[in-house]
Amino acid sequence: MNLNMNSVESLVAQIQGLSGNIGELTQLRNYLMQCDDLLRTESTRLAPLLTELDPSVHSLGYLYILEACTCGTILKEEANELVLSVARFINVCAADQIRLAPEKFISICKRLKEQVVLLEDPMRGVAPLLTSIRKLQSSTEQLTTLHPDFLLLCLMSKCYKTGLSVLEDDVFEVDQPRDLFLYCYYGGMICIGQKKFRKALELLHNVVTAPMPIISAIAVEAYKKYILVSLIHLGQFATSFPKYTSSAAQRNLKNFSQSRIIHDLLHLAKISYAPACPDRLLHICMDLALSTFSKQWDSGIFPYLELVNSYSTGKVSEVENYVQMNKDKFESDNNLGLVKQVVSSMYKRNIQRLTQTYLTLSLQDIANTVQLNSAKEAEMHVLQMIQEGDIYATINQKDGMVRFLEDPEQYKTCEMIEHLDFSIQRIMMLSKKVTTMNEVMSCDPSYLGKVHIQLGGNGRDLIMTISTPFLLNSTYEGGEKEQSMALPMTCEFLFSRKFSFYYGRGWY
Amino acid sequence: MDFSALNEALAFKSYDKVAGICDTLMFLAASEGVSYQQDWPYAIHLIGHIYVNDINSARFLWKKIPLAVKESQPEVSAAWKIGQRLWIKDYASVHEAIREFIWSPQCQGIMAAFSEMYTKRMFELLQSAYSTISIQDTALFLGMSEEDATNYVLQHGWTVDPASRMLTVKKQAVVTKQKLDHSKLQRLTEYVFHLEH
Repeated sequence: MNLNMNSVESLVAQIQGLSGNIGELTQLRNYLMQCDDLLRTESTRLAPLLTELDPSVHSLGYLYILEACTCGTILKEEANELVLSVARFINVCAADQIRLAPEKFISICKRLKEQVVLLEDPMRGVAPLLTSIRKLQSSTEQLTTLHPDFLLLCLMSKCYKTGLSVLEDDVFEVDQPRDLFLYCYYGGMICIGQKKFRKALELLHNVVTAPMPIISAIAVEAYKKYILVSLIHLGQFATSFPKYTSSAAQRNLKNFSQSRIIHDLLHLAKISYAPACPDRLLHICMDLALSTFSKQWDSGIFPYLELVNSYSTGKVSEVENYVQMNKDKFESDNNLGLVKQVVSSMYKRNIQRLTQTYLTLSLQDIANTVQLNSAKEAEMHVLQMIQEGDIYATINQKDGMVRFLEDPEQYKTCEMIEHLDFSIQRIMMLSKKVTTMNEVMSCDPSYLGKVHIQLGGNGRDLIMTISTPFLLNSTYEGGEKEQSMALPMTCEFLFSRKFSFYYGRGWY
Repeated sequence: MDFSALNEALAFKSYDKVAGICDTLMFLAASEGVSYQQDWPYAIHLIGHIYVNDINSARFLWKKIPLAVKESQPEVSAAWKIGQRLWIKDYASVHEAIREFIWSPQCQGIMAAFSEMYTKRMFELLQSAYSTISIQDTALFLGMSEEDATNYVLQHGWTVDPASRMLTVKKQAVVTKQKLDHSKLQRLTEYVFHLEH
């Protein structure tokens, strides 16, 4: 079916006519969905149609046509035009109209991102993608598929500050779990670039502990950065995972010195017994075990965990030696810069540790303990730390001494009251949100079915074990309807049981 | 490219806004696909970031500047030199870097303002970090001659010991006015009451 002049005219007329209110727009959308195949087949001839439409008024129709134009292969000469036309459309389109066809909008934005990357000018896409996120989101709490693309462009074009503006929003709704991984990983990298280590730690922590059925490469890379940022920001690293971490992550991100031993033992066993043992099954099992352990061993986390060990000795020279020996490994992961920051943070940590033991100390003693070259260098370090607020001290140049002071914060000021008030409000809001989510999930029949199967028995056991404060209207096996329960659930149970179940059910 | 907003900010001496304006204009130019690198006022852009002590952004901007511009415009390299010294926290040499270059008329205003602000910032740092400090170091940090530095600090209440060439710091008592908001206190009281019952 060819798009002849009549069809074209009628298409344009429909778009122009039905772009009034929401009722008309829904009608238009259904019409456009029917025409979708048609638009795709005639994509090369659609460009002139765009000139007859006003993107700010006829956003929905313009979107469909623009998407059809850009869905084919793009030649290099056309890339510039495409980027310009999509960027201009994003700037002027009406948000409520494009929200009726989010997949189309996402599709053209992703095209834009691909093309600016191919053109090697990622900065061109930063401002348009930021606008597109704000137009697509139904609220600032929603994470769209475009967030990670936007953050990637910010990283590539070194516009870290712009990326940070998006990271300040709290996320409560996620369209696709896959987006969350990338969002948190890129977000962590942007925060590291802006030296906001606390936020980076939070984001990377989310990647590592997020529910996942199998370990993902993003989680492994995030874990490496997580270790380094933890050393820089907290001066230590805890190898134990929180309870809500997925079992896949816990298994694969453990300390691999045990795996190495097992791997070597298995290998030895195989070499020794294989010639004498014709059992094919045994061979297969051993091969499988070997490959599992060697895969774990090769994920490259080992150097980072060893770095943690040498960091905890507190000796800068040891850490520097270790870094020098494993420089290539860190560099191939693009983490060498971060590792260097870890080393320089050691001086800071060591000086901070001194404040716990001494009230006054000479600059020369500081230099000796912390392995700095001279008293003057120690003085500069202490001065920098005072400026950044890492330490409270005064330097007495006359005697060459440093006196360590207490934190002068008395918690009596108006700012403190504001801060307290604000924090309490935030926690109250968060608590309300968690309660609502708990409510919604308790009524989910698939959840109830699964928990019932897990526990066995009839509804009464179910009630006693997972008592919830909400009205449960679903019927259990045996046709019993039960009424509201008494005891509240703890948050940890909620996250560890319900969420991991939910993710396992089909979000991937 | 329309630099009127930037010129206005410079004319009205609102130097803290310069960086923000430059960033917005840069995004605008980039999304239009206009090739702006040759005519872009990188020096002002860099100094704008340095003025608000956002050395991270200055660093990233420097990485983005094409090599040709870095080599052909010495003012850009001179502006970055200041940023670099601030980054590695080489406090004393910042003054040197400001002084050794003859700035263009466009940059002179903002550089002078930055220089003054930096001296003040250094003074406050010295005041909070030192109880006694040599005249020599003070002069280095404040970017003045020893005599000028001594006079400057004496005006702020420090005392000098000419024999040992040492200055004793006088700390300023920081008094912030506490405007009490009764509703906030009321709310906090309610929380505590609720928690205890």
